[in-house]
Amino acid sequence: MNSRITPIIVAAIGAILLAASFVFKGNASGDDINVVIEKADFIMPAAHRVYANPQALDGKYYLFKAKIKNNTNHSLEDVRVRYRIPGYIDWTELTVSGQMFPGQTLVVPCYPKFDDKITEKSTESIEKAEVEVSWDGASKDDIVEEEFSFKFTNRNEYVYTGIKKEEISTWSDMFDNNALIACFVTPNDPIVKYYTQNLQEKLLKGEAASVTNKPEDGVRFLAGIYEGTRASHMVYSGTKGIPQSTEDVQSIVQQIRLPREVITGNTGLCIELSCLYASVLSAAGIDPIIYMVPGHAYPGFKMNGQYYAIEATGINGEGLGGIMGAEEAFKKGQEQLETFFKQAQMGDPRYTLVDIHAVNQQGVTSMDLKDDQFLRGKVDQIVASWSGGAPVQDNNKPSNQGGSNRVYTPDNNLRTSSLSFSIPSGWQTHMKPVPQMPILTAQVTSPDQLTTVSIYDIPAGNVQQALNTIEQYFGNFGMSMQYQINGNTVVGLTYSNAGTFNWMGKALNKSGGIRLVAVGSPDYAFGQKSNEINTIYNSIR
Amino acid sequence: MKTLNNLLAICTLLLASIGYGQIQQKIDMKIDAVGDAKITISMTMNGQQWQTWLQSVGNNPAALKRDIERSMPAYFLDDFKLDKNDMERSFTLSMNAYGVCKVDKRGNWIIDTDQKNANLTELTSHKYMLVSSPPELGGTIQQTYTIEFPDEAKDIKVDKDAFGKSVFKFKMNNSTADFNMLRWAGALLLIVGGAWFTKNMLQKSS
Repeated sequence: MNSRITPIIVAAIGAILLAASFVFKGNASGDDINVVIEKADFIMPAAHRVYANPQALDGKYYLFKAKIKNNTNHSLEDVRVRYRIPGYIDWTELTVSGQMFPGQTLVVPCYPKFDDKITEKSTESIEKAEVEVSWDGASKDDIVEEEFSFKFTNRNEYVYTGIKKEEISTWSDMFDNNALIACFVTPNDPIVKYYTQNLQEKLLKGEAASVTNKPEDGVRFLAGIYEGTRASHMVYSGTKGIPQSTEDVQSIVQQIRLPREVITGNTGLCIELSCLYASVLSAAGIDPIIYMVPGHAYPGFKMNGQYYAIEATGINGEGLGGIMGAEEAFKKGQEQLETFFKQAQMGDPRYTLVDIHAVNQQGVTSMDLKDDQFLRGKVDQIVASWSGGAPVQDNNKPSNQGGSNRVYTPDNNLRTSSLSFSIPSGWQTHMKPVPQMPILTAQVTSPDQLTTVSIYDIPAGNVQQALNTIEQYFGNFGMSMQYQINGNTVVGLTYSNAGTFNWMGKALNKSGGIRLVAVGSPDYAFGQKSNEINTIYNSIR
Repeated sequence: MKTLNNLLAICTLLLASIGYGQIQQKIDMKIDAVGDAKITISMTMNGQQWQTWLQSVGNNPAALKRDIERSMPAYFLDDFKLDKNDMERSFTLSMNAYGVCKVDKRGNWIIDTDQKNANLTELTSHKYMLVSSPPELGGTIQQTYTIEFPDEAKDIKVDKDAFGKSVFKFKMNNSTADFNMLRWAGALLLIVGGAWFTKNMLQKSS
């Protein structure tokens, strides 16, 4: 009897175990999921667009990087990683891995997208970030939760390095964030644009350096900026620049007044004046350069492969004395430049330059700043001090006055318009924006003003004639263009006082002529905006 | 493989800027069964290149390590080993890179190349080669990458991601995945019990 029952019992236990194995698959516990967080010590609001962009400077600037290892002997399904920064960013999912095998490691870098409002942050704070790792079937107790703190500087603070103090061995390590100075160069700030416009018209009575590409025109403009600051009695003054520490990083943290604050406050330090010059030069379509040397910075520009510089702090101030004329300041700048290149060629790492447009192309872009009527009023006062005249009429000034040709589009979905392409939400449409150019039916601009779509309706028989007509109109405005026609596709460059504008468009047959819909952006932003431009281009019907 | 390109840029940028003729660089990436990789970079230089390399990063391996870590944010790196051969003016740098492969929602393993239309050559069913001369380094460096997949990898193919960049996609079953003790013990006992019972029955009938 026993000889029959015993094997039956063994087989029955086996069957039970086998069945149980399908019922009880076993759950991974949070203790078996190893999470390592590598975090940034500082976040600078001025550079928030760099932190948000995985492509910017090859993804070097992130909030944190999580290494997650599955130490269980089970595969995890749909592993989700999310994070939040209370008060700034709500729970945001970073990644979902379809499966995570035993022993597998998942690496998740976090590039946080902060709201533009953080550029209004005027005090520093310590913030907390929370990270959560979960997977299908994880109970509440299994979910892995991590948190860490970081220092959130105010919008004016510039941290010179993010390298841990024990790792710093060279001068370049101490100034590792040099490229981020481009975040404080704000050519798209409406106040800077307004100031530049006034400089070009009221002080220089016309300026065409970006069109002619002649160094003498560039130098004239550079000297013009200097004259503008000197004539308004702008003075040299210091701001706070003190060493600060977090757990791992020790760096000098400099308070940098934004170009708009330098203009309206009528005072600036060397790096602030350099940012102001770079902003104005960029707004005028010239390639700005900031030269960094030990204890000092000065601005200049690059044209036809040659570098130029000016000593912007030559304005000094009546209290300091020794105010230089523009010619003297330029001479001093060029002398410093000679030393700069000599030292740089000898391999001295303390002599570096920041090519603003080059770093812009690598994703280091400036913050968005809102228009401000009070600041415009301050610019008007400064302009009046140059010439005693009234400031230029600003076509871009927001206005509720009658006769405005601006039409605000509602913030809803992408919509197809009578303008032959799909207008993204939030973009502004200006009908007949230039009365002197009746063929320009409308212009549609992106919220950041970098991408523009122009719709021309030209009474012409073919595309070539249509473009000839546009070229003639452009000539009347001191603009020129180069283009290539390929079927109904037209690609080109437009040169004007505002710089070079890269565009692509389609020519459409319309009753009574040709409609050209062209979309583009200034050349320095074309790479950055290429996805947006392609989307618009593909929607042209 | 942008992250890899960054790494190479750090190793060679100073040499490229000096322009002492074309430099050959070999990069081997051996992927294991859990999607991590062993990366080995080797390079031989002439006398001038060697001196420049030593002055920049060769004599400061800690800075080299830090720069490589910062330039490859998509990976976690450890176990750096730098072997210099002063007699032959060559070096070999190796490191472990974690999280090189990812698994998508359909269970495909994926490695990004971060290059559009990457010119990939299939050396064997599990080994691919990519030769490039990055224009950002002035075309002075020829880099030869080899990517070796683990034996467990199946159906390896070159595909494109949503941005049109070349990616490797493959299937791989993890040998340690879901090893279920309960199931194996149950099956064993079932077989033993069944065999025992059959044996007893046969003995009885004979």
